[in-house]
Order: sequence, then C-alpha cells, then structure tokens
Amino acid sequence: MRPVLQLTAALLSALALTSCAARMTVSSHVERGLDLSRYHTFDWGPADALPTGDPRLDRDPFFKDRVQGAVEKGLIARGFRLPDTGLPHLLIHYHAHVSKRIDVNRIDQVNGYGYCSQPGCPSDVVEYEAGTLVLDIVETETNRLVWRGWAQNSVGDMLEDRDVMAKTIDQAVERMLLRLPSTH
Amino acid sequence: MYPLTIRLVGVLALAAMLTACASTEVRSYLARGADLHSYRTYNWQPMEPRSTGDPRLDNNPFFEKRVQAAVDKELAGRGFEKTASPHFFVHYHASFTQEMQISPSEHGVACEECRPEVYDEGTLLIDLVDARTGLLAWRGWAKGSVDGVVDNQEWMERRIDEAVARIMREFPSGL
Repeated sequence: MRPVLQLTAALLSALALTSCAARMTVSSHVERGLDLSRYHTFDWGPADALPTGDPRLDRDPFFKDRVQGAVEKGLIARGFRLPDTGLPHLLIHYHAHVSKRIDVNRIDQVNGYGYCSQPGCPSDVVEYEAGTLVLDIVETETNRLVWRGWAQNSVGDMLEDRDVMAKTIDQAVERMLLRLPSTH
Repeated sequence: MYPLTIRLVGVLALAAMLTACASTEVRSYLARGADLHSYRTYNWQPMEPRSTGDPRLDNNPFFEKRVQAAVDKELAGRGFEKTASPHFFVHYHASFTQEMQISPSEHGVACEECRPEVYDEGTLLIDLVDARTGLLAWRGWAKGSVDGVVDNQEWMERRIDEAVARIMREFPSGL
C-alpha cells in the first residue's frame, strides 16, 4: 500500500475512533426566517425543574455559573446586552442531561486501533456517560422558542475535573452560539 | 491491509446492512368494535408532558409542530375536519432509545463473525381516541433507526413527514 493511502487510512481510523465517544457534536434547530438582529436584550428565564439525570450536576453551582457565564459572554460578544430596566427581548434557558450510552469500536488487530471492516476483528464495547447541554432562546413577547442549540459529548472526565468541565462548557457554548443565524 | 477502496466498500456494505436491519417498521392496531368510517371530525388532545428520552427533543416545538402539521395534512387529505366538538381526539407520543443489534441476524443463521452495532431508535406513535367513550379506537406506530436525524433539522422534518404518512397508510381501507 502506498504511504499516502496508509496515512489516510490511519487518519480515518483515528477519526472513527475519536468520533465514537470523545468528540463533541453540536447542532441546532431554528425557526424558519429567524432574524436575531431584531432583538437587543436578553436575560435568564426561570430555571427548569427537569433533573439532569446525574446527581453530580444537579444543583452544582460551579456548573451553573460556568454555563451562564459562557452564554452571557458569547451573547454580549454578538451585540446583545442584559436589559437595564424592563423585560428583555429574549429569554435564555438551558438544560443539562446525562445518560449512559454504549459505544462499539471494532479493533484493528494490525495496528491496534481504529475501525476495522475486515473479518476477525474483535469488538470493543464500552459504556460511557453521554452529556447533552441544551440552550434555548425564547422570544419574551410571544413566549415562543425561536432557537435551540445543543452540544453532546462524553462527560466522564468532565465530571471528575473542574478544569476539564470549565473548558468543555466554554467550548460547547461557543460552538453552539456559532450556529446562531445572523446577529448584530 | 486492503486498499482503501475495498475498505470503503466494506464500510458502505456494513452501513447498508445496518440500515437494512434497522429499517423502519410500521404497525397498527384497530380496537375491536371501533369504526373509523363513522368519524368525520377530530381535534388534538392536550399533550401530556412526557419525556421522549432525548433531551434534544423534549419540549421541542420544532419537532412537535412538525408532527402535528404532518398529521393534520394526512387527516385533511382523507376528508377529516378539525372541529371544537370532534368525533375523535388524536395525540401522539415519541420516544427514543439506544439499541444494540448483534448482526447478521436477519438471515436467522448462526454467524461466525457476529458483531454488535449500536444505533438510536425512534418510535412515533399516533393514537385516535373516541371522543364520546374516551376509549382508544386506533393506534399506529413507526419504529426505526434515527442515527444523525435529530442533528439535521431538514432531515428530521422529512423523516417525520415520511413516518406519519406511512403510519396513516395503515388506516382501514377506504380511509
């Protein structure tokens, strides 16, 4: 096999392996034709009462502060501001959820890692903790959800290390906000 | 190691096989004595706030409104009319779970290279409830792999329309 192909295969394998449990995926749903430049102010809506599915996150002030801080910073950088008085144009709220998921990697016996389509490759079945952070933007006047973004990632490490948690939250929020349609 | 193209074909074949194993299954149930032909009018029953099992879709109007619009369209196409005091109520429930499949199992033969595959499975269930008796008259549902669907809004909308249309095709003949 030519080295370049080998390299490509190795990269693909690495990518496949990474994508399974460790890579953050980010996406969103949006109301058709949403023009966020119509709105200027935002504030936090009432917190939801839904459990996160993990006692380590329920009522964790560090988690809550970090998420709120990252969202405020990101929205202010995009030209929104907290209202001085009166009702904000937009209400923001978020929800975090953790559940156990299974991942299957087929292990390439030749190089010891990666996705393998050949016969005889053993499967490596792992259970991991999948976290979802959902961010909602609601139009205050109509109480209508106009945008929802989310980030999903394996959160086992994050729940045991504050630095990892802070970095993961910042990354998740910033990548979600990048998906906002036209702002100011 | 095989050349990349062969590996790619292998991956595609695997993907096709997985899709085949997890293709959408549509079923329905007509309650004994229920006569959908006697119905002309319907309305939506208030939704009970039940978790879908997927935090991306809980309290998600982009999902909920699409399902309702698709059901409205299918019912209108069959001549049903939405009124304040209807013959039947309609409601739906969606649920999502991660499933594991040991393939190849579709041929029903023992396999030497059984491999587990995981995928996200979604179920969309539509109920018709008789407004007078409050009893379930008809239930239809579609179940299938929804890997990657929720993360792509257009794809999700297409899958909803498709699933609702297929569920409603299960209606008794003549409707």
